[in-house]
Amino acid sequence: MKQSLRQMLECRWSARHVQRYLDADPSASLTPQEVQRLEEHLDVCARCTQVVQEHRALHHALTLTLGPTSLPDEDAVDRLRRFVAGLDEEGPPS
Amino acid sequence: MWNEQGTVGSDRSQTFAEVVEPEIEVMLRVAYSLTSRHADAEDLVQEALLRAYRALDRFDGRHPRAWLLTILRRTHLNMQRRTRPDLVDDWSVLQGHRPAFGAATTASSEQTYLDATLPTQLVRALRELDPRFRAAVLLVDVHDLSYAEAAAVLGVPVGTVMSRLSRARDRLRRRLGPDVLTQGGSS
Repeated sequence: MKQSLRQMLECRWSARHVQRYLDADPSASLTPQEVQRLEEHLDVCARCTQVVQEHRALHHALTLTLGPTSLPDEDAVDRLRRFVAGLDEEGPPS
Repeated sequence: MWNEQGTVGSDRSQTFAEVVEPEIEVMLRVAYSLTSRHADAEDLVQEALLRAYRALDRFDGRHPRAWLLTILRRTHLNMQRRTRPDLVDDWSVLQGHRPAFGAATTASSEQTYLDATLPTQLVRALRELDPRFRAAVLLVDVHDLSYAEAAAVLGVPVGTVMSRLSRARDRLRRRLGPDVLTQGGSS
């Protein structure tokens, strides 16, 4: 009983931290202790491991499904680079 | 400040180019997610670049991408007020989406599965999200912005981005279900 309660609490804690773990964003990174705690839990919890796999699959699908369309066309990038270079040549605009 | 350090001055324009050029692509991607047309996105970025150039003296030299994306968002809001007050969304990314793996040269079983099954369900699930949640997911997962950069685009605190992102992903994950998400073998 005590064991299952601890497991349940760890699952809740894991659910609250798993996205920060996967994103590893510099403004909200987990501490090394938190990373260790999460990874130790994932080693023994199939359900939370499944959640991690689903998050990874979702990110993968979003990137592959929608990512290519968001690539800007090279001509537009070149035109904007020339615009910036024009500022260089002409000095500050009025 | 850059002026006080002498970084901006006679070589102000060169400094501006060095700061801005690496960010033009991401500015265009984000601009396209804010507008409905490529031409509008290019106009938006050009206007934002002009404003950034004029505001360079007030830039502290840190986090150029976040600085530029903040200017981009404000420029977009101003342009919207002038021209299209009804348009505030990221729909163009979804409306114009190509089949998955458009640039791929080989088709794995995972790609075949996703190409055939997941995009439609994924786009449908994205459409059902609250626009604020959807924007967070598109900026971070599709455009690969950091939390802070997404916060700059949306004009909200980083914590709000994290909250919206978390809810959006959980809703998408539950909407699609484990079978759809992992059947293709992605991990």
